[in-house]
Order: sequence, then structure tokens, then C-alpha cells
Amino acid sequence: MSTSCESIEMAFPSTLSEALALQADERTRGRLISGGTDLMAQWESGVLAPPPRAISLQSLSELRGIHEFDASLQMEPGRPRPGSLPSISIGALTTHAELRSSPLIQQHLPALAAAAATVGGAQIQARGTLAGNVANASPAGDLIPSLLIANASVIVASMTGERQIPLANFYLGYRKIDLHPDEIIVRFVLKKCPEGSRESFRKLGPRAAQAISKIMCAYRARVQDGLVQCFHLALGSVAPTPIRLYDFETWIEGQTLSTALLDEAERKVASLVSPVADIRSTAEYRQWVAGRLVRGFLEELLGG
Amino acid sequence: MTVKDRQFNWIGKGVSRVDVDDKVRGRALYVDDLDIPGCWHGCVVRSPVAHGRLKGLKKDPSFDWSQVVVAGPEDIPGVNIMVMHDRSMPLLGHDEILYLGEPLAVVAAPTLQLAREAARRIRPEIEELPATLHLRDVVKQFKAGDSSWARLSAQTLVKGDVARGFADADFVVEGEYTAGHQEQLYIEPQGLVAIPQPDGGIFIQGSMQCPYYIVHELHEALNLPPEKLRVKQSAVGGAFGGKEDFPSMLAGYCALPALKSGHPVKIVYDRNQDILYTTKRHPVWTRYKTGVKKDGTITAIQVDYLLDGGAYLTVSDVVMYRGVLHSANGYRCENVYVNGMVCRTHTFPSGAFRGFGAPQAIWGLESHIDRMAEACGMPPHIFRLRNCLRQGDSTPTGQILASSVGSPAVLEKALEAARFENKLGLCTRGKSGVKSYYGIGLSFFPHGSGFTGDGESKINAIGAVELALLEDGRPGVNIRVSSTEMGQGALTALSQIAADAVGIDMARIRYPFADTALVPNSGPTVASRTTMVVGSTVFSAAMKLKQALSQFAKQEPGLSGPADFERVARAYLSKGLPPRFEHQFQLPADVHWDQKTFQGDAYPGYSWGCNIAEVEIDAATLEIKTPRVFACYDIGRVINPLLAKGQLEGGLTQALGYALMEKLGIKNGRFDADRMQTYVIPTALDAPAYDIRFVEFPYDHAEPGAKGVGEIPMDGLAPAIANAIEAATGLRMTDLPITPEKLFEEMKKS
Repeated sequence: MSTSCESIEMAFPSTLSEALALQADERTRGRLISGGTDLMAQWESGVLAPPPRAISLQSLSELRGIHEFDASLQMEPGRPRPGSLPSISIGALTTHAELRSSPLIQQHLPALAAAAATVGGAQIQARGTLAGNVANASPAGDLIPSLLIANASVIVASMTGERQIPLANFYLGYRKIDLHPDEIIVRFVLKKCPEGSRESFRKLGPRAAQAISKIMCAYRARVQDGLVQCFHLALGSVAPTPIRLYDFETWIEGQTLSTALLDEAERKVASLVSPVADIRSTAEYRQWVAGRLVRGFLEELLGG
Repeated sequence: MTVKDRQFNWIGKGVSRVDVDDKVRGRALYVDDLDIPGCWHGCVVRSPVAHGRLKGLKKDPSFDWSQVVVAGPEDIPGVNIMVMHDRSMPLLGHDEILYLGEPLAVVAAPTLQLAREAARRIRPEIEELPATLHLRDVVKQFKAGDSSWARLSAQTLVKGDVARGFADADFVVEGEYTAGHQEQLYIEPQGLVAIPQPDGGIFIQGSMQCPYYIVHELHEALNLPPEKLRVKQSAVGGAFGGKEDFPSMLAGYCALPALKSGHPVKIVYDRNQDILYTTKRHPVWTRYKTGVKKDGTITAIQVDYLLDGGAYLTVSDVVMYRGVLHSANGYRCENVYVNGMVCRTHTFPSGAFRGFGAPQAIWGLESHIDRMAEACGMPPHIFRLRNCLRQGDSTPTGQILASSVGSPAVLEKALEAARFENKLGLCTRGKSGVKSYYGIGLSFFPHGSGFTGDGESKINAIGAVELALLEDGRPGVNIRVSSTEMGQGALTALSQIAADAVGIDMARIRYPFADTALVPNSGPTVASRTTMVVGSTVFSAAMKLKQALSQFAKQEPGLSGPADFERVARAYLSKGLPPRFEHQFQLPADVHWDQKTFQGDAYPGYSWGCNIAEVEIDAATLEIKTPRVFACYDIGRVINPLLAKGQLEGGLTQALGYALMEKLGIKNGRFDADRMQTYVIPTALDAPAYDIRFVEFPYDHAEPGAKGVGEIPMDGLAPAIANAIEAATGLRMTDLPITPEKLFEEMKKS
């Protein structure tokens, strides 16, 4: 084991306000770390230089928990009201293991539950967190496409208050996120998959488990009598950041599913992505298979 | 009593591993667990370029050099060479640098952090030269008839006359097959410690397969008589050939600063260093041109077999010999010509890896056999059954297979287990409109057990057993051999053999770590030879011990009753009689090998195998799954069926990785995958359901009649999968690993 992490000065705040205070001051500010499953590996291998200081978020209970709520009522998360609650709030420190086994997530965000089940192995899932996966900002971040199709927003906090950023705007470029130095991601708000809609997630990797994706697709769609009423499509590992394919969504919404449309949809998706080659796959394969995956999902919808 | 008729008590039983408890409970001591007082840490200064001329090493003047020791070529007590096979590779690089990562100096310091820091403060000044980095560039030159590429070794194998064979053929079938580097990826990375001794000698301890190799490779560089270069293994966490030749280099890196500083010096690689800076499987290019008649008779096999040896020859000539000997073997053919070659590239020297050239050869041959079958319109299994070598037949080197021939038995049994013929009709052969392509494919192959050619008669392996009072004060037997337990189960298998030969309980057998101060040279732990060759020396030595005890019992009053090992052994030991018995391995007198003509008995014996793979390929994504693999092997007498199946399942999964996912590219002279994140090997979820069966044709020249099992699982799965993929998609894939990306490219072309 190399020794590169040993020099990091660690802080362990026990409340969110304590952590925010540390981040507010340049002299105490540090790299935020939760499960550490990405950061520790990057620091150890030298992909990233270890920072002088790091702030562990592990003890902040305010950053945990999964709740239903109604965003339109501006109600506080965690305080349910009778009637339908169309949104879900997920604490920043929610682990992959919690996501995949949560009945709320399984029922209302099935693509996210499926994506969480494909992250690393059991140890990584037990330790890695939702905010870590989002903030690591890898184009191959396993959870991100499933968040994007649920119109997720990121809630970040600082000493001066909270900010809500649509996840699609949170990524500014390759591994760049819209998080100010004094801010901490505290939770995510997502729209549940509505009654009558379907979600699906597919990840292709170089092996059956413990794999980083060659490509990922998450879909949310509502089809009635063959008519595509609503279609959300997000892809990972085909661009510098995970992306929503809005052009495709606009194109397919309002159309009626048919074999001819499937052919056209496959071509359309391939024409809208321009992935690059890396150690896991080629640009040509990714482009082709993106279309194939979307076609497969549409076939399922067509088949009922 | 003949080998076949013997009855055994322990041999043939699937007893669990003797070392399982220590390993599961974390009590086994690996080199990094050893508590060595005053131990320093070493760090290697390496060339950052693949090819160049070294001008010097510039030390940062702002660093305090008094706290560390730097050993360079000038600190080598003897000649700056690793002996290896041609004495060409320096222990530390100087003048012309031939690969990225070539060691130039070694820094040692009281802490690892300081050693690494100091190594970073040394800047090699190198004038860069053009480098050859890829085998494909050499192949291009070779095909164009340009002979300016650097040839490290060459060997031809000739039988009959291929020109006549082609004239007799109805069809001539041609094909080329390639595969890249493969990393061993043992769990425990490379690690050794060198401890200077008061007599001026050095004691090397750590993770290795071949203690005596380290003595041999280094005694000239360290200028020490072999007896002052003591080598002992610690627990070894996997090796797969990766700890055959490389630890000799690492031992040199540890020994130099240890001798200079007077401190023990330890180097344990992290995973990153281990992938970047250790030996790999040789990349290969093979070209087949074969003749076949309409009735399926093979009339000629002509092969070019070219290995990428990396920067130095090291052991690559013998890897190539094994490849040559396996590239046209297994089938009846009167006209064979194999042109074996090793070329130099400016990459890390290629080294030993499970199969040692044979998997590369069989990858090409067994893919090509399917094409030959197709050319004459025969199903692949019928073509193999028609042509496979049988008892009494002669191999390409003219070796007569007089006995212990598991062919065609392995083929027949595997075909039946898999219901191959029925499933052949289900193959989709690229049919459009399916959701999933299905295919089944097979391969068939012999694997030479023991050293190639006259290796076994040159090394004269000796095994010993020793009667002793064990740690509980009661008598037992110590096995003294230089073979190492490295995860493969040698400890258990040899203990079973010794127990049966002496006729005592296995619990009374010990097999301490190999230590050159205590064990005879039974050769290296390589070449699928441990159970077969070293096991037979242990068996015979233990029989001698048993005989000595029973003779002693006859002469001693009061001991003449039924053999009571404990009483007899105690009495024997109390008399101070010689406790140690040795046996030297000997091949039968009529075994002959001619290295010059490459004719004769190429191996002491052959194991035989047949692999059958089923594949399912998602038509939407071209992802390849192998739900089922059937395999049948003749490994001679099966000493421990449980461990043998474990070896075979593990090896087949390693072969699955070779076939479908493991790849190392070279970017600016450096391997592009340098972590387990980027070097992808199969997980348990990728492994197929295995159906493994044995047919036993015991080796009849050495008891108890085992043949090799360690390497044969690596041999045949890649071509079986390629053949299944062809049956599924109609596409002939010729470059490993076979990925969805490559299938996609092929599909676009067709």
C-alpha cells in the first residue's frame, strides 16, 4: 500500500452547521469526503493529488434519509401529508446499498434502484454514497442517468442558505460541477415515476459485475395505445458528462410506436451522440449500441 | 506391481487443503507479514522511455542523500547480468536502455516513503531512440520479407515434406491468429526481502515459484558461491508463472542495496507497479497454411509462430519451443513444418505464464482445425475424432505415443457430456431476427507434462523425505523439495503421495517452506511437473524410507510384529540412523531428444483435454455470455480430484478472461491498463457453469502415475469459445480477446 494518503489532515464535523462553518473559512476548508470509494482510490493511485485537508461528512445525520413529499406544497421533506406525494427527497449520504433496498426507491424510482445494484461490489455499495457518485462527476457515474430521467435537483447548502440546481445544469463540463467552495450537497429531490409510466435501466460493462460502464441508458416513458406521451432518456459514458437526450425526447413524444419507428429511433439516437474511445470501448460501438439499447426499450414498450 | 494396479489410501481422495486453515484464518505469513528487525525499504529508479541511451542519473542536490543508500551498476559485486538463458539482460540497465521501466538504480531507506521520495529525486538522463512497441509492426515487416527486425531466437520443426502434402491436398486452408499480453494478476503482488548475512552472503526470502532459479540467475552478479546465496519461500499468494523468472530480477534489486547498506531491504510492489513492471504472457502471431483432403485427411500443416519476447530473451526461447511443439500437435499428419521465432520489442520482457507458449499455439491451431473441418464439409467433432492422435501414433517430432494416451477418450467423453451433436443443430449461424445468437464449439489438445525436450534429464530433479520428530514430539515425515506451494495445492498433493508411500496417516506428513539450505534441487515449480515429476521423487524417496524402517524392524527384537510406524520410527531415530532418503527422477533409457533436429521425445508424457463451450450473444448489444463449459481431461492418476477440479475451474476462468476480456494496450511505451479497474478479469458472475470430468490414463514411467494439471486448463477455452462464436454468428474471430466491439467491426464488414 502506498503512503500518499497519510499526509492528509482530516476533520470530522458532527453537525452540518459545523461542517458548513469549516467550509466557509479558507483556512479550514477541505475536500469533502463521504464513503471515499472514488477519492481514496484516486488519491492512492495518484490519479488525483491528495489534498492537504479533507472533511469527512460521515457523521452528519442531517444528510441521510429517504422521504416522500410534495414539492408544489413547499412542505418540509420528511413531514408527510395525506394524499399523493409526487416527489422524493434522498439524503446526500444515502448509500448504494440503501438505494437498492429501499422499498420507496424500488417502487417509485425503479431505474435508480436498478442502477445502484450495479455499482461496484457489496463493499462499495455499503460505503459509497449518492452525493459522492454525483460529485465525482464521472461520465460513467452509475446513478446519474437514473437521476436525470427523474428530473432530479441537487440541493446544496452553505452558511448563507440553500440553493437548488437542476442536476442537468449541475454538470458544467468534464468532471466539473456547479458547487461553490463553501457549499455542501445535502440532498436530492426527484420526481417519482408516475402511475402509468415505466422506467428501465441498462448498463453495459466489460464484465458481468464490478464493472465501469461502456455505456448506460435510463428511460422513463408513458405510452398509451401505442402513442408516446412522455419520454425521458438519459445516457452515461457517451459524452463528457451524463446527458439527457432532449432532442430525441422531443422527436419521439407524440409519435405512435411501430416497427418503422423503431428503425428510425435507433438511427436517431446514434446520430445524436458522439462518444469517444477509451480503455473500455470504441466510439463506433458506443454510438451504435446507444441506438440498439433505446430500440430494445421501445420494443419492450411496443410489446406491452 | 505396476503403476496401474497399486491401491492407495490417500491418493485419489478429495481431501481438503492442508493449508486451508492457516490461509482462511490469516495465519499464513506472506513476505509483507514477516517481522524483520531493522528492515529497510527499496524503490527502483526506472527508465521513463522505451528505448534510448543512458547519459547519467542526476541526483537532486537539494535532497539529503545521507539518509538513504543508492545502488547503481557500479555497486554490483560481480558481472552486471542476469544469467537467464543467454546472459544478455543486465541486472541494472546501462548504456542502451531497451524498455520503459528498465531498472537503473535502487534506492533503499528506513521508510518506504523516504525511499520513494529519494527515487523521485533521481532523474535519468536518456537520449531517446526510436522504439518498436508492437508485435504487429514486426509482423508487417516479416510478411513483407523485410528481415531487419530483431530476432531473439528461432527454431524450426520439420516432419515429412509440406510441399508434397499441399500437392496431395484437395483444399488448402489458411488463417492468421493473434493475441496480446496477458497479466497473471495473482492476489499477492511480487515481494522479496534480502537479508545480508554475517559471512558476507545473502538470504532472500519471499514470494516465488523457483528458489533455485534465484540462486542460479544471481550468483554471478552478486559474485557469491551458491551456498552463500540462500533462498527461502514465504507463503505465496498465487503465481501462475509470474513468479517463475521475475523474482530473480526483484531479488537482485533487493540484494544490491542490502549488501551496500548492511540492512535487510524489502521490496513489495503495489498493484500498480506489479502490473506495469513485471513479466506478462507473450503476445503472439501465428499463420497457418494447411492441406486437407475431401475425406478429411490432413496432408500438411505449415505454421509460422512468432512471439513478442519484449526487450530481452530471458526464458522466451523455451516458451517458443513449447509453442512450436504444441502448434501442430494432437493430430495425424505426415507433413509438418513449424517456423518458431521470438522477436524483440521495446517492452517489458515477456515471461512465464501458465501454459508457457502452448495456449498461444493452441489458440491458433484449434481455431484453424474448425476451418479445415468446414473446408471438407465435416462437423468439427467428427473431423477431430477422425484425425486425433491415438495410442501408437507419432507426434510431429516423431515421438511414439506408446502408453498413457487419453485420446480419443477425452474427446468422446466431453462430446457425450455436452450432448454436442444435438446442440450443434441449434446454432444460429448469424440468422437474422433472433434476440440472442447461440453457438457451441470445441477444442482438443495435448499438453506436454514436465520440461520441454531434455529439460528433465538435464536438471536431474531430486526429492527427499526425512524421518523426524514433529512439533508434537511424535515421529512423522518431512518432505524436502524445492517445489513451492503457491495456491495450486502442491502441499496437499505431495503430502498425500508421501503418506501413501510410507503407509501412514497424512496428519504425520509435513512439507515445510522450500529453503535452499535444506532442500535438494527438485527443479522449479513450473511446467506442470510438480505432481508428476517431483511427486514421483517424493513417492520413491518415501518408499525407501518405508523399506529402511521395515528392514530395521525385522532386525530389532520386539519390533517384528505388525508395522507400528510410531514405535519403529522412534526406535530408528533413537539409534541415530540416517533419517533422510532421496530419489532422483529418471526417464526410461529409451527416451531420447535431439535439440538440434528438434526430433524425438519432446515431453516425458502428455495430458489430454477437450473443452466445449456454449455461447449466447445478445443480438442487440453483441455481449457474449458463456453459460456452460464442458471439459474432460486425462491428467494421469488424479491425486486429489477436489483440488484438480479447483485447478481446472480456476484455470478455465483465467482462460475465459484471455478469450473475452483481458487486454493490455501499449501507449507511449507503457501498458495502458495499470490497475484492477482497467485490467479487467472475470468475476464469479462471468464464470460459466462447469462440467469437468476425468479419464485416467496413469503415467507409467513414474509412480504414482500423475501427469500435469497446472497449465492444461489455460490451453483450449479461447479457441472453443471462438469456434462457438463462429457457430453462433458465422463470424470467425481471430484476435483475442473477442469483445463486442470487435464482433461489431466484423459484423459491419460482412
